[in-house]
Amino acid sequence: MQTKPHEPHIASFYHLPGRSVADSPCQGMACFAARHLDPDRWHTAQTQAARIYCLGKCYAAPAAGSDTCRPSIEIHAAQSVVLKHIVAGGARTVQSYTGHGGYTALTQALRTTPDTIVQTIEHSGLRGRGGAGFPTGRKWRAVFQASGDKKFVVANADEGDPGAYIDRFIMEDDPHVLIESLAIAGYAVGASKAYIYLRSEYPESRTILKQALADARQQGYLGDNILDSRFSFDIKLVMGQGSYICGEETALLNSIEGRRPEVRVRPPYPTESGLFGKPTLVDNVETLAAIPWIVQQGAEAYRTLGFSNSRGTKLVSLNSLFNRPGLYEIEFGMPVRHIVEQLGGGLKAGKLKGVIIGGPLAGMIPPQLLDTPFGHEELHAIGAAVGHGGVVAFDEHTSIAALIHHVFSFGAYESCGKCTPCRLGSRRIEQIFENVLQGDASSAKAEWDDIATALASTSLCGLGSGLAEFAHSIAKHYAQELKACFA
Amino acid sequence: MLRVTINGQTYEIDESVTILHALRAAGADVPTLCHDERLKPYGGCRLCIVQVHGHTRPVTACDTCLADGMVIDTHTPEIETLRRTLLKLIAHRYPADPLQQFPDKEFHRLIRAYGLEGELRGAADATLIDDSHPYIHVDMSQCIDCYRCVRICEEVQGQFVWQAWNRGDATRIRPDSHTTFRESTCVGCGACVDTCPTGALEDKALLTPDKPTAWTRTTCPYCGTGCEMEVGTRNEHIIAVKPALDAPASKGHLCVKGRYAYDFVHADDRITTPMIRDNGAWKSASWEEAIAYTAERLQTIATRHGPDSIGMLGSSRATNEENYLTQKFARVVLGTNNVDCCARVCHTPTAAAMKMMLGTGASTNSFDDIEQAHTLLICGANPTENHPVVGARIKQAALRGVPLIVIDPRRIELADYAALHLALRPGTNVPLLNAMACAIVEEQLHDEHFLRERVSDWPQFEKFIKQWTPERAAALCDVDANLIRQAARLYATNKPAMSFHGLGITEHTQGTESVMCLVNLALLTGNIGKRGAGINPLRGQNNVQGAAHMGCDPGTLTGGLSIKDGQSLFERVWRAPLPVTTGLNLLQMMDAAAQGNLKALWAIGYDVLLTNADAHTTRQAMKAMELVIVQDMFLTETAKSFGSVFLPAASSFEKDGTFMNAERHIQRIRKAIPPPGQAKPDWEIICGIARAMGKGEFFKFQSAEDIWNEVRAVWAAGNGISYQRLEHGGLQWPCPTENHPGTQIMHTESFALGKQAALRRVDYRPTAETVSEEFPFLLVTGRTLYQFNAGTMTLRTKNIVLRPCDVLDISPADAERLGLRNGDQVKITSRYGEAELPINITAAVKKGELFATFHTPQVFLNNVTSAYRDRYVKTPEYKVTAVRIEKTHEEKKPC
Repeated sequence: MQTKPHEPHIASFYHLPGRSVADSPCQGMACFAARHLDPDRWHTAQTQAARIYCLGKCYAAPAAGSDTCRPSIEIHAAQSVVLKHIVAGGARTVQSYTGHGGYTALTQALRTTPDTIVQTIEHSGLRGRGGAGFPTGRKWRAVFQASGDKKFVVANADEGDPGAYIDRFIMEDDPHVLIESLAIAGYAVGASKAYIYLRSEYPESRTILKQALADARQQGYLGDNILDSRFSFDIKLVMGQGSYICGEETALLNSIEGRRPEVRVRPPYPTESGLFGKPTLVDNVETLAAIPWIVQQGAEAYRTLGFSNSRGTKLVSLNSLFNRPGLYEIEFGMPVRHIVEQLGGGLKAGKLKGVIIGGPLAGMIPPQLLDTPFGHEELHAIGAAVGHGGVVAFDEHTSIAALIHHVFSFGAYESCGKCTPCRLGSRRIEQIFENVLQGDASSAKAEWDDIATALASTSLCGLGSGLAEFAHSIAKHYAQELKACFA
Repeated sequence: MLRVTINGQTYEIDESVTILHALRAAGADVPTLCHDERLKPYGGCRLCIVQVHGHTRPVTACDTCLADGMVIDTHTPEIETLRRTLLKLIAHRYPADPLQQFPDKEFHRLIRAYGLEGELRGAADATLIDDSHPYIHVDMSQCIDCYRCVRICEEVQGQFVWQAWNRGDATRIRPDSHTTFRESTCVGCGACVDTCPTGALEDKALLTPDKPTAWTRTTCPYCGTGCEMEVGTRNEHIIAVKPALDAPASKGHLCVKGRYAYDFVHADDRITTPMIRDNGAWKSASWEEAIAYTAERLQTIATRHGPDSIGMLGSSRATNEENYLTQKFARVVLGTNNVDCCARVCHTPTAAAMKMMLGTGASTNSFDDIEQAHTLLICGANPTENHPVVGARIKQAALRGVPLIVIDPRRIELADYAALHLALRPGTNVPLLNAMACAIVEEQLHDEHFLRERVSDWPQFEKFIKQWTPERAAALCDVDANLIRQAARLYATNKPAMSFHGLGITEHTQGTESVMCLVNLALLTGNIGKRGAGINPLRGQNNVQGAAHMGCDPGTLTGGLSIKDGQSLFERVWRAPLPVTTGLNLLQMMDAAAQGNLKALWAIGYDVLLTNADAHTTRQAMKAMELVIVQDMFLTETAKSFGSVFLPAASSFEKDGTFMNAERHIQRIRKAIPPPGQAKPDWEIICGIARAMGKGEFFKFQSAEDIWNEVRAVWAAGNGISYQRLEHGGLQWPCPTENHPGTQIMHTESFALGKQAALRRVDYRPTAETVSEEFPFLLVTGRTLYQFNAGTMTLRTKNIVLRPCDVLDISPADAERLGLRNGDQVKITSRYGEAELPINITAAVKKGELFATFHTPQVFLNNVTSAYRDRYVKTPEYKVTAVRIEKTHEEKKPC
């Protein structure tokens, strides 16, 4: 929909416009899983004026904006692509970043042709880390080839999937890697302007990125004729105002344009008609963070990491129910069980009920399937997903009814409202399970089935279909407990 | 061609269609709620899902392109279950009552088709009802979030009134006022109502159980856009009007006048019996009496003072057929060329200039070129108010990024969307347009190839135009020279560039010459004879183009043929001699009457007294006449003051015929209801009087089609346009043969005058109407969205709620200096007369300038307007009158 931008009705779409999250508690999925650890905080989270779904502090869940502790951060891969600066103490300043060898990839890139860089990314096998796992090189190629007087690069820093705190630590501890990779991307696809779309639940990221952008500009890594080349490039930081759907790339573009952030019909894809109708490359932060390494080490080096059709390394973030909640860089192919039991060290207390990887819009993995290797197709085969890489474990404190209610409440709250199944169906399931939780196990089984099917088959975007994937996995792996809900 | 299989059957279908289009073409329709052909595919409701083999999920038909080899199933049990699930979800929040109230709404039909009446569990909510608008009922408890209202307001009207608030299932559609709908920026086009698939938005007139029993397709009786509409009737009453979805000019859109302002037809003061003035008072008469009286008086005057002592005025509200008969009557029955129409006071300068330079006095291109143009030049026209459907198309072009150049003293709405606004001083079109030509030539941006092939007099013009530097014009026009140069560059280089102009160009002492200057620009840059270009007058009334083109002009016959050129043809077809004396135009008729040389006037559908400039002169002229025949629907100001006999006429909803729109489309009008009382179509009245005057043999017409077939016999360019062909939609002339498709773009290979057109060297001759210490302001007059010309029609509709009164626009600076507040009643005085009206303070007018509308008899603005006329064709200079204003001490008059 085309609307006059920046008017009050547009702002009314968001639930956090002008609102600080500094002291607010969170009710994201990891905090929900850990709600018994601090019932008072959980109560506040549920009763405050605007809901907050994930502050990226899942390692300390139930969390609040005021929490300052850090997770453990470790590398469990043959080579570190993304976390290397961060485990070495981080690189917030240009000096420390260049001290780690930062910005040499950009220098190197500017000496070669854009086509060569695009080829490198294509050959690396890198896939998008935002959830969909689309081959990054193919996107770059499409924008590179698109004709247009103007092109854009957009960093999707709207890490909204509850359970993920990956992009947050990259942006806060290694902000220049994002700047450097955006500049490389801009040079490669022919864009002179980039946007970072950052969620407002990450105020610290904002402060750090603002400073980093100013520093980079001052040091000549952004602006006119970067590093004395003929390439000019700048980045604008745009803040979200509270809306999960803005992590969906077309809603995100609408949001930057000041329009109502509904999902756009595709095609045309953003690579052809994206921001302001121009060819646009949209990549997630973690995806971009791998670019400088690939440019320097080469596509082959990257391809040797990982397995199957999932190459390279991936960051996973574990929630507070684990013994060792933290941010880990792993190679694709590691069994989920290894992540849960070795990296996470198993649960602090109680029995594992299941894990949800990649946010609430994905299937739950029951304990008996933990040996599945961590990879896009492999997890997909069991109804789960790599998603964003958040790993949220549930223990016996969470009933299936409560979990379904939580997930669909989230879905209904965050639905943009454009398509019927998501707008009305997610709310209806939330209501059904609200009744179930209150002991009214009315015969809504058929309705649950119908709506879940409609969500799977007719949703416009991944929000509705993700809810259906979650529902499907519950029906499959937790059939008994689900049946009991309707008894 | 694509081969696809739909429900087991193979079809060959054109490329570049969506699955939905293919399904509809194949007769395998699927339900939709958010889809409307006027809008971009939205993919929101998800009801149009179909199964496409090879796809894991169902595919939405509305936004998916058809591909070769697709195997599509539209109604599998799985798909139908999904549709039922989605409809049920919507039904659960939807109230049950509207289903009975509006059984035909798209959503209600679907609920019945899927047997979900029992699932309607929503509640009515009085807080979601808004009845503030005079025409539109709002009840958002019946909103199903299809966003069609929001989208059509943006994508078609470009008004952005409806806004979606909040998100998800809390989404609410509200007007941009944030208060009531009436207070929003709505322009009343009704598109949202038309597209709404539920009862959330509905015409108030349709809230009763008495729905229309018949729908008749016809053409709008207001401006010259030529929008086609469906008229809903019941018991000989018009209940509703809807846009015709496949109309070429309007593309399924209407404006507030076309859609809602039809109630004048049923107004209490409609005159439905003939009347004769007897000792100052009107007396009802039978048709026989009225016709006998009229015929006898005309005969007497003709005998006593000669045929040229009588004048006739055709009507732009009447059909082509009726205007044709009007001029035939004047020439054959009366024996005079004293016949004219209201084109005289609007676009006769255009027709004259374009005919002189190009050979044809009509738009060179079509409204469909708006979407092809790379630059749009809008001169002295305010399309979003006066041609709203064209205005909306121009606005959409601007919203897509097509640069507009607006040349207008006022900051009209389109100026807000324009790349360049040249807010010239009223009366300085010639120097401004000359300066643009000069800049084009100076910077060598002219089209050398086009000049060589298609243009003559280039060397002389080049020498002449170089004197008209932007700097020289800047001083005369109060427009920055650099801005003039930018406009020139844009028009000359960002091609094709399309020009639209209105009365801001023509209603000047140099009106005809201003149009010549516009044509010069098009010739210089090659912006003519091709898609997305041309010179396009926006004609003010439904059939003003037709009235003049049918020969209601003292100097030309039907088809714009000069009397000299057409004499033998017309005398052969008519089997009657043509008059030999030169005819008088409207203004000359007034002058002749005042001098005692014109004794009778027959005005058909034309309130001359209210609308002629310098009304004082008109009064004196009419007072001197012996006979004033008024043929109209209402007792006009002319009738009230001077009418001798009143002949009650049918409205365009009450008869058959054709109109000619601004882009040369001949379109049918059709009888939707019978005329009230004894009112008759104009053509029947004319034929009756002709018979009574012994000339019935020349007027043996049984129907409008009969008349039209005679028009075809005398008008070569219209010969191919038969009623039979018009049943399938309008045709644009030239259309010389029955298998000719009509002409969208004229002058593609050569001009009607020949291969080459000559550039005209137009020097600036400033109007003698100038400001002075006594009359320090320049007054411009014009129209507004909600009222129409003499107000005869719109003042008798609820449009008076939306625009109750003529107002005088004044700049904030002038208002402050004079100590005036919004709404203050002022007296406006010119060298010619005075009028009183309230002021409206707006930054749209510049300091020292004023703008007022002329619709209401209470204000009678033409008491003030100037007596100066166009040098070529005598069109009054409505756009420049020097005035002074002073606050009256009277309380505000109720308007």
